[in-house]
Amino acid sequence: MVDGTLSWTDFLSEAREFLHLSEQLGDGWTLCEKDGNEPNTFLSCKRKVRSKDNGTLSTLISVEYHVVFSVSYQVPMLFFQAHRSDGSLLDVDATWRAFMPEARERSDLFQMLTQMDHPVLFRPFMALHPCRTSDVLAQFGKKSENRILTFISVYGPHVQLNLQNAYGNAIKCK
Amino acid sequence: MTENILQFAAFESFVCPTFWHKLAELKIEHDRLSDAPKPISGHYTNHKAAGCLLEVDYSAYNSSAQPPKFSHNAVGTIYNKNTIEEFKELDKTSLLSAEGQALLADMTSARVLDNPSLLARFFVLSFADLKCHSYYYWFGFPCPLTHPLQLQSEAVRVKDLQNFAAVAEALRAVPSEAQNFFILYANEELESVEVRSLSAALTNIDNTEAEHYYYCFADPSEYEHPAWLMRNYVAFLLMQCPTLLGKTLKFLGLRYDQQMNVDNSLIWKVVQNDACDLTRIENVKFVGWEPNRNCKMGPRMVSMRDSMDPAKLAENSVNLNLKLMKWRLLPELNLEAIAQTKCLLFGAGTLGCAVARNLLSWGFKHITLLDSGKVGYSNPVRQNLYTHADAVMGNKMKSTTAAERLLEINPSAVAKGYVVQIPMPGHTIGEAMLEQTTNDLTLIEEQVHAHDVLFLLTDSRESRWLPTVLGAVHQKIVINAALGFDSYLVMRHGSTRECVGDQGNEIEGLKCIMGQKLGCYFCNDVTAPGNSLKDRTLDQQCTVTRPGVSNIAASYAVELLVALLQHPQRELAPAYYAQSSHKRQQVESTAAIPEGLLGILPHSIRGLLYNYENILPATEKFSQCIACSQPILASFRSEGHAFLLKAFETARYLEELTGIADFKSLHCEIIDFDDDEFDMSEGDENDSGPTTTNIDE
Repeated sequence: MVDGTLSWTDFLSEAREFLHLSEQLGDGWTLCEKDGNEPNTFLSCKRKVRSKDNGTLSTLISVEYHVVFSVSYQVPMLFFQAHRSDGSLLDVDATWRAFMPEARERSDLFQMLTQMDHPVLFRPFMALHPCRTSDVLAQFGKKSENRILTFISVYGPHVQLNLQNAYGNAIKCK
Repeated sequence: MTENILQFAAFESFVCPTFWHKLAELKIEHDRLSDAPKPISGHYTNHKAAGCLLEVDYSAYNSSAQPPKFSHNAVGTIYNKNTIEEFKELDKTSLLSAEGQALLADMTSARVLDNPSLLARFFVLSFADLKCHSYYYWFGFPCPLTHPLQLQSEAVRVKDLQNFAAVAEALRAVPSEAQNFFILYANEELESVEVRSLSAALTNIDNTEAEHYYYCFADPSEYEHPAWLMRNYVAFLLMQCPTLLGKTLKFLGLRYDQQMNVDNSLIWKVVQNDACDLTRIENVKFVGWEPNRNCKMGPRMVSMRDSMDPAKLAENSVNLNLKLMKWRLLPELNLEAIAQTKCLLFGAGTLGCAVARNLLSWGFKHITLLDSGKVGYSNPVRQNLYTHADAVMGNKMKSTTAAERLLEINPSAVAKGYVVQIPMPGHTIGEAMLEQTTNDLTLIEEQVHAHDVLFLLTDSRESRWLPTVLGAVHQKIVINAALGFDSYLVMRHGSTRECVGDQGNEIEGLKCIMGQKLGCYFCNDVTAPGNSLKDRTLDQQCTVTRPGVSNIAASYAVELLVALLQHPQRELAPAYYAQSSHKRQQVESTAAIPEGLLGILPHSIRGLLYNYENILPATEKFSQCIACSQPILASFRSEGHAFLLKAFETARYLEELTGIADFKSLHCEIIDFDDDEFDMSEGDENDSGPTTTNIDE
């Protein structure tokens, strides 16, 4: 039985490894380090995505994704915040509409995406709730080569964060 | 013909919130009243480009531009006006012309050769309403109006070039800061591929070599058309090298995909046949204002209140828990109804403080407290809005201090406190106090008028009389909480609103009492409230209750109100109680009680800490009630204050008025309660005693 949790030092080293892969692939991730304390280092990247809201006329929004260590759950956590082309932020309602319009209210997906205070920045951010992450990470049976990579690949697509397949090759060639 | 004309993908402005944050900061701390144009920088990327974006963020105001990775610098100017009128009235055509002429001046001089990013040009006209956190803005991407370019053939992908490998290698070798505009010399016969800067290639252009030139630029367009900035590129080239006129020119829009490959970069072969003399500036027209969201020529406005106004930020955070409740568990929960309901609290003691805090938790915003007391040394440990320091100060009034604290807890609340004595029946008002009492009465009545809900949280039975009467007269929701030593009573008074429509459903084993037929606190009594503070020792006047009782009662009081507000009939919602005396049947029939959004809506909750039990009795209005019966309400309506003053003079007056006095003499002889059946009545009796620790009263 593989445990799906990881320690802070695991998180840090695997985040650095992930950063290295991203740099090789020119994927634009950065590591933000507020100070050396747990959990004040996180991965960050920005993407432009098309909002799924109101179907036909999809608009571009800018999304900043953060992969932050959850001290309580001992797993990586996906935080993100999106803004429109005029600079206004998407609130929870708008985020739901933009990212998961097909998810019905009170469905599992709907419950997973919520607003929380960012554990490093102490500002309200959107987040995917970490309560199931360790189960999900454990389901892979054997230990992942890089759990940050596994985590982003599994959780990212729910909020339009898709990694290139090249990461898979890169991790094998490391 | 039109399909042979090269079209361009227009720039779309894309503003990061930090651009507005920095603009506000600079306006307040640096620019103040100056509205001189300021240089700014933007950036665009040709790396996995989405749309055709020109982005600005906080770094736009930096003196030296440092575009993010994979991005290129754009040169801009911001015209931030001081008033909305200046913003509106500014002549948009001349601003565009002035910007365009500055661009032409850069093109004719050597400046563009040295710094090609001058071709990626923009400006912003803006007005920052810093009070409202609203930003009005309009982007322009100036460009001289020239004759259309003839497209010689369909655009070709770089990947399909015969010498693709060599070209791709050369392109990848260009340092990123030089990738915005450069020239690729690719001579297939000589198998020579070479990258040149604009200045190297265009100064004294060699026309035979120029046949092998690809005019390259970082292309932020994701569409089939090249980005808007190519227009300026073409205009510049023809101005710089007039010999290129009428010749086929190859433009290469450099585009990187996810894998950092240049395969999908596009090549357009174009010809410009008609000369356009850009040196005679006065004849040149310019285009480039960005259309707004409705595709009309006009400015845009964005409200940044949600992310920039500290009060709004706090408010949104406060509401988050409530919203989560709505989103996840109770989609029908009406938070707006809660936020708009105004609550008036009679008493700012143990119950008043606890109720006020519970109201804040539920998102109530309008809370007013009435109390005449000062914060005493014994208060802070039980009355959770005060601290020891308040008592040490000696003169801190409870009502106003409590309101201050509520605002400290939630700045977006509307909390007020008034120091006011609540006149009581049987508490005679002397000549000297008459004026003060009249003022207090006026204030209390005004406040009742201005609120939707009255909470009765005072420490004596008689002080609840006036608010009960006023609540009934003015058709307010009244929630009453009273404490005994280890017992509590929380109830909603019957409504005096006219009932419309739906009647309650009769359910087997349950008695149903409609909201307008429910009793008030005094309906079960056969005595008018007298002076319960008289002839008592100090310890009897102080509240002697188990500390948890007040918190439990306060919580029930607020939850009862919230349940009421969420019921479609609100205070007219019927209450049910089991008629059967058998406990088992009672439980069964209780399960059949119709529920509102938040469960059943009892008339009253009587609880005992001794055995941790609640019962939920419902009682009807008493036609001779000394607080809510018709004779009382009629006398108040016709006599007003005079009626009240008579009642304050002597409690007997109320008993006479309602005819309850006769009733009382009758009942004294026959009523003999069986203690086992009425085990809850004890708590009720204690309600008549003082219930808070306010020894000032």
